[in-house]
Amino acid sequence: MKRARLLLVSALIAASTIASTAPGALAQQAQVRSNSDGFSVACLGFTDTYPQQLYSLAVSQMSRLGYAIANSSIGASFTGNAFLSTVAPAYAVYVHSHGDNYWATSGYPRVDSGFLQDPGKSRCNNSSDIVRSSSIKTVTAGGPFNLVIMSTCFLGSDNSTMPGAFQIEKTKLSPQPEFYLSYVGHVYDSSMLRFEQAFWSYINSGNPNYTLWGAFTYANSIGGYAYPSASDPFMPNWWGSATYNGRPIARTNG
Amino acid sequence: MSAIRFTTKLKSALGISLLLACLTVMGGSFRTDTAHQTGTVAATQSLPGVVALALDAASSPVVFSHAIVARDALGFPVGVRRSGKHVQDKFQNLEYDEVDELDASGRPISMTQIDGSGHLRVAVRLDESPRPSTRIARDPALGIAQRGAISAGLTVAGTAQIDADGATDGWTVRWSRTQNGIDVRGDETRVQVRPDGHIQSLARVEHELASEPTQRIKADRAKEIVARQSDSWFAATGSGYTIEKMDVQWVGPNGAFDATKPIDPQPVYRLAWVANVKPSGDASKYLWMVTLYVDAGDGSILGGDFVE
Repeated sequence: MKRARLLLVSALIAASTIASTAPGALAQQAQVRSNSDGFSVACLGFTDTYPQQLYSLAVSQMSRLGYAIANSSIGASFTGNAFLSTVAPAYAVYVHSHGDNYWATSGYPRVDSGFLQDPGKSRCNNSSDIVRSSSIKTVTAGGPFNLVIMSTCFLGSDNSTMPGAFQIEKTKLSPQPEFYLSYVGHVYDSSMLRFEQAFWSYINSGNPNYTLWGAFTYANSIGGYAYPSASDPFMPNWWGSATYNGRPIARTNG
Repeated sequence: MSAIRFTTKLKSALGISLLLACLTVMGGSFRTDTAHQTGTVAATQSLPGVVALALDAASSPVVFSHAIVARDALGFPVGVRRSGKHVQDKFQNLEYDEVDELDASGRPISMTQIDGSGHLRVAVRLDESPRPSTRIARDPALGIAQRGAISAGLTVAGTAQIDADGATDGWTVRWSRTQNGIDVRGDETRVQVRPDGHIQSLARVEHELASEPTQRIKADRAKEIVARQSDSWFAATGSGYTIEKMDVQWVGPNGAFDATKPIDPQPVYRLAWVANVKPSGDASKYLWMVTLYVDAGDGSILGGDFVE
């Protein structure tokens, strides 16, 4: 009887362990992408290692939050096509690259925010590399997302159209389990890394009562961020729900 | 050996193996750190980057009383209970004690962190902020921030920078740290004020400074070094550049331009000429600015930073 109980307990622990650690088919998917060739020695004259650090951090911490990292790439395999063809089923998205609020193809004053795909090994980024929010909105086709992090300049500013590409309204009172994080102005890479380290360390510290808003607020509070100029201070921003804890949960709309 | 006994032993072995396998797998996720266990430790938990050991008020009274003093000085709400922990933050190479003020549901409504020297590191409100239709005006917000910092035992001096904050709809007030009139890059006392005039957070960042070099290289010499370095970077891509600003600051040396070195800043800051270099031409499409640190004593490159 004792042995039977041991076997049963072992099997139960095994099942729960596998369920909690393996990115199985049941887990909600996340997509993590980082442009690195655009910041390599061929384009800059030196290699910027922040993209690798930010990418590794996002992969490990999104996974710890409970998402299955279904599609992730740093470097040449981060193309616009790869992103657009796999983003729709994702519940969480992380992108690190150069980002901006570009004019829409219809021209000023309409904005169509975007980020740059990795240019590959043989060239540097140019405007043909922009992955626009309008293209993302088309492929996401109204499907909502839980957590979207645009680790770029500008995509957290008020005129950014990127939240809408993931059906996240620019409100701080959303009743939905959704959270969008980005930065308002120019941002030093060191500041992004410091902020995102603090954000992930808080939300993944093991307290289920902690929220993404709490993680954002903590990271925004700790200070120590360098900024390019007095008129361009370090300023992260967010939209979505102040009460959502970031764990993947079933979609309730769309 | 009988078939029954063999089956029984097989089941036992299978059960123990399964249990050991599970514990091994779980051990990868939840390591136990005993290095800092003391009488105050009630539980341990480990995560990649962060190790936390539980603290309780009975065995760590100084930590808890310090947190309560900070809470009251900043006007933070009083919870129904508190929880504490000692944290090793391996992301930032920091150790601190933390006290969370909790509501009846166990949700944190504020957090206070005390550094290894017993100084307040950060205090932040985590209850939901009201979003009134109007934001407190700039000057009253500055006064509230100043009084809050002083009542929490911090000295604030010099001109504050105050910026409207889109994340809180309030204000961020910063006093940059200077040493003998020279800025310490990133070091500051920072207070955030909610739109209704309550304090959202307070933080203090301060690094150890190395000795000043006995002799400083001149600005012209530092500019030559920056230009030589920039020539080698931007000529390769056919791009140009402009050196926009140069001044002397205390900086955290890092491996920003050397992929073989750690990117994290060293804990002891050194005096450097700091230059902002703006690329032009093709490079400006994907790199907005490079900041270079040149050792103020020997002219060596101490690292820097980028805006992509």
